[in-house]
Amino acid sequence: MWSLPAPSVTWPSYSSSAEPSRLRHLSEYLLLRAALAVVDRVSVGAAYRFSRALADLWWVVDRRRRRVARENVLESGIETDPRRVRALSRRSAEHVGMVVVESLRSAEVLAEDRWREHIQLEIPADVIEVLEDPEQGLIVASGHFGSWEIAAQLLSRFKPVAGITRPMNNPRVEELILRRKPRYRFHPIPKYGADAGRFLEVLKSGEILALLTDQHARSGGVAVDFFGRPAWTYTTAAMLHLVTRAPLCFASCRRLAPMQFELSTSPLIQRARSGRKKDDVLAILTTLNEYLEAAIRQAPEQYIWGHRRWRD
Amino acid sequence: MSEEKIIIRLRDIVRDNATEERDWTQMNGETTIKSLGFDSLSILDLLYDVEQEFGIELEATDVVATRTVGDMAELLKQRGA
Repeated sequence: MWSLPAPSVTWPSYSSSAEPSRLRHLSEYLLLRAALAVVDRVSVGAAYRFSRALADLWWVVDRRRRRVARENVLESGIETDPRRVRALSRRSAEHVGMVVVESLRSAEVLAEDRWREHIQLEIPADVIEVLEDPEQGLIVASGHFGSWEIAAQLLSRFKPVAGITRPMNNPRVEELILRRKPRYRFHPIPKYGADAGRFLEVLKSGEILALLTDQHARSGGVAVDFFGRPAWTYTTAAMLHLVTRAPLCFASCRRLAPMQFELSTSPLIQRARSGRKKDDVLAILTTLNEYLEAAIRQAPEQYIWGHRRWRD
Repeated sequence: MSEEKIIIRLRDIVRDNATEERDWTQMNGETTIKSLGFDSLSILDLLYDVEQEFGIELEATDVVATRTVGDMAELLKQRGA
């Protein structure tokens, strides 16, 4: 599901005792403050370089993530040459760093009078019609591709957006990030409080419900082909469309150049109920995965290959 | 249709969705939807099947708000089942 906008940075847990935890939280907070001081005071280009350097360091240190990324790139068939596979997975790690910078400096991109200088919109007429209708809810599905935080914040210029967020383990860091981020009309739904009732309220209020559909479904999911391999996928986006008849589309936000993006959506995905629930769900999720694959093929380095999408 | 008959039809739907075996004859109006294995999201699956089975459209928010099988039967009755 669309875990926005918190997941860019996650902090590992080390200890269950209160004192080391407090110390750890404080040191993480201070480190983040120091990093932000750098990111805030330098040019965007320098901030990107700084974040990429940190991401490179992380890539070298995090062996497991590196291995997962390489395996996933290979499995997808996007690259087969080992050298190119390594390069792509490293650029994917750097992309994560760039997303963090974009998120922290999104106010520069999304300012009322300037966002059109930074973002090209490729949105079909049927989706625009829904976006401009205050009565009409919209389900927007996406994946961990491109700058999804910019996408959510920009979409909220059309109508309020609600998306699932995973709160950070470190409350100090969480507070700092929340304080800094412009959210416009983006309303986070905490991951552990997400339920159908809340989602239905969002749609009934004529708002956008944003869901990232490329997370491994631990339970209650279905196997849907992703780059030709079955991946366990949550059915929420499809089921909400089927039972509420709320319009559904796929969206992605590809980086074209530093702080330049293209926000595009698919046309509305229409699926009338056939009476065969599993077929309906599979058809919708397959379509969403096809759109995500197409987006990834355009800029494979902008996909987060390091997360374990294909699990048994 | 009587509430009892609605519950019998609901029982069949729930049984088809179930991932574990249980004594379905025990399911009655007092049984909570949650105890039947539906969580806050999988209730959408139940809604799809209920609408198909009874051939009526329900307001999703009303269905999600139901707590027991009896509440759902009552809702269906109100909607002309």
